[in-house]
Amino acid sequence: MDTNLVSREDYITDLPESIIETILTKLPLRDAVRTSVLSSKWRYTWTTLTELRFDDDCCISDAHHRALPETGLVKFVNQFLLLHNGPITRFTLSSEYLERCPYVDQWLLFLSRKDVQELSFGLAETEWFKAPSCLFSCKKLIALELVRCELDPPLHFKGFPNLKRLNLQQISIAPDAVETLISSCTLLESLTLSYFEGAKLTVRAPNLTYLMLEGYFKDICLENTPMLVVVSIAMYMAEAYQSSSCNFDKVLGGVPSIQRLTGHSYFAKYMSIGNTLGKIQPTYRQLKIIDLYQVSFDDMTEIMVILRLILSAPNLQTIQIEGSSWSTDPLDLDFWDKECPRDATFAQLKVVKLTQISGLPHEMRFIEFLLGNSPALEVMDVTKNVYETDEDEDMFMEILAFERASDDVEFMFAEDQV
Amino acid sequence: MSLVKPEMKSFVWLQTADGLIQQVEEEVAMFCPMICREVIHKSMGSSKNHAIKLPERVTPAVLGLILDYCRFHQVAGRSNKERKTFDEKFIRLDANKLCDLVSAADSLQLRPLVDLTSCAIARMISGKTAEEIRETFHIADDLTEEEKLEPIKIKTDDSRVRLLNRLYARKRKQLKAREKSKDVEVEEERVEDRSVDDLLSFINSGDEDSKGVKPAKNKKRNRRKKNLRKDPSPNIEKKNPSYKEMDSLSSSHNSEIEDLPNQSISLKFLGYVSTESDFDDGLDPALKEQLDREVEDFAQRLNSVWSK
Repeated sequence: MDTNLVSREDYITDLPESIIETILTKLPLRDAVRTSVLSSKWRYTWTTLTELRFDDDCCISDAHHRALPETGLVKFVNQFLLLHNGPITRFTLSSEYLERCPYVDQWLLFLSRKDVQELSFGLAETEWFKAPSCLFSCKKLIALELVRCELDPPLHFKGFPNLKRLNLQQISIAPDAVETLISSCTLLESLTLSYFEGAKLTVRAPNLTYLMLEGYFKDICLENTPMLVVVSIAMYMAEAYQSSSCNFDKVLGGVPSIQRLTGHSYFAKYMSIGNTLGKIQPTYRQLKIIDLYQVSFDDMTEIMVILRLILSAPNLQTIQIEGSSWSTDPLDLDFWDKECPRDATFAQLKVVKLTQISGLPHEMRFIEFLLGNSPALEVMDVTKNVYETDEDEDMFMEILAFERASDDVEFMFAEDQV
Repeated sequence: MSLVKPEMKSFVWLQTADGLIQQVEEEVAMFCPMICREVIHKSMGSSKNHAIKLPERVTPAVLGLILDYCRFHQVAGRSNKERKTFDEKFIRLDANKLCDLVSAADSLQLRPLVDLTSCAIARMISGKTAEEIRETFHIADDLTEEEKLEPIKIKTDDSRVRLLNRLYARKRKQLKAREKSKDVEVEEERVEDRSVDDLLSFINSGDEDSKGVKPAKNKKRNRRKKNLRKDPSPNIEKKNPSYKEMDSLSSSHNSEIEDLPNQSISLKFLGYVSTESDFDDGLDPALKEQLDREVEDFAQRLNSVWSK
């Protein structure tokens, strides 16, 4: 027999450690641990993994046992951590069944001592996990994701000095505590707050580039966010948007580098308060994509928000708007003839996509305005909201008849069965 | 670096560990960071005499594969879908080739290929039993029966489960014996009230007083004796045989299981050291701790591969 063959019988065990770690990291933890029985050399290879992910699939696959995490997941994590050897850079714990228990606090304490860099915790819905104070002593944290959790930063907490990404979902935290948390993490680049039940929120984050806010906000102010590039805001409270100042300025006043703006639910309504078309500034030279949902074309103020946005974005390429309009009473229709800046040009606008359009007067005027002022337009995609039909094909025919500034527009019409 | 004219491609000379030299289109070879560095920083590869010496792990066969990969991916215009389709077909190799490939790609610092191949290898490991994995990768099975703790399956007629059950049974026996010895320890206290003479004679008289006490008991005694360097002489000889056994016991976990049933050491030493009863406490926990650790370790190893 060829001696080469004999000595290289084993294909895999003698691969460099870094490769074996890469391979083991791509396995579910349970399988990685099982490699310990392959041979004596594999006994403790898995114990030096630095990226750990624990979830409900980790231990027992029997559905009955899975619902009793104490017998499965807790035991698995405990024993795994005891046998683990070395640093842990990424730790993820995600379970639908595991509720708060003393072990979870201990695991956090253990991780805080291991200089963990990326931490993600998501436990059961029933009883929210209260983050122990050792969480705030994880000084090396770069990314933190918490789901369904009570956060109560201690008084002396000065922020996570290295934190770049923060993702809080369904978190219960005092309003000023979250503002302090955000502003004290000076390196923060990405912030996501979902299902947030806060009232006022002021964001001060000088290095922030990505922002996503979703929840029952009454007031949002982006006070110190000069580097923001992507902004996505979803606001769920319809009433109580009072403001002494212009909300548009409060939100978008300090984001000159913004490239993409997304707004859901009552965002347009919120932005409309205090807004005027008088001053079209600042100019958003980088703004390329505007994505707005549930815009009410009945409300002239919301339309003015859109107009102000597109008029202050000379390099805008894509507009996507989902309408949410009901009334056919043509209020303020003379705006379009009298006040709308007819000589505006959307030089870079290529794609316009409108959905949930009912053919209301304001909607039609808006489409006409876009068609007539976009010399580079390539796609006009309109989807009709079938629920509100009075006249069917007329709407599309009417659009086709509008004067268009671009010769190469491709029209895409569709009907949406609601 | 030579200019690339449209009609004339330039080539890079590469030499594999076996001495074979070949020329490869420059843009293909430069897709590998390691080759790129050699060309740019060290000006190697421009001629046959200055061929870039590739790392040992890159055999000609594997080099062919890697160059195929590079040739496809270095073309800029391809869509993500095309690349993905190519990748999926590319890694349909056997385990041997995959391991060679990942090793070579790593030495050439071609990270995307390392990730791709690692994923493929991980897919070959995931969900398989240890035996299947060993077969796929030709891993030599050098673990002893006890060390091999296979995942528990539901069906009990599996031979591995039977083995485990046997191990469990032995462990249970051991634990039970330990429990018993705990009770015996309680009795011990009472016995220590006897006079020293009485006790000495008791010890010297008979040989059997076996209640099937675990050797651990004597282990503790012997240990204590050893540590304190106190030897009531009559006891020394009696102790020595079991002393040896104690060493063998503590030496390895594996033999622990074998040695267990063979030991039937008497309880003679029970009462003799009323003065040393304090040390009783001092060592007992230490020994108990060691035993606890052994049990825990065993239990952990069992449970650490608990999968279903």
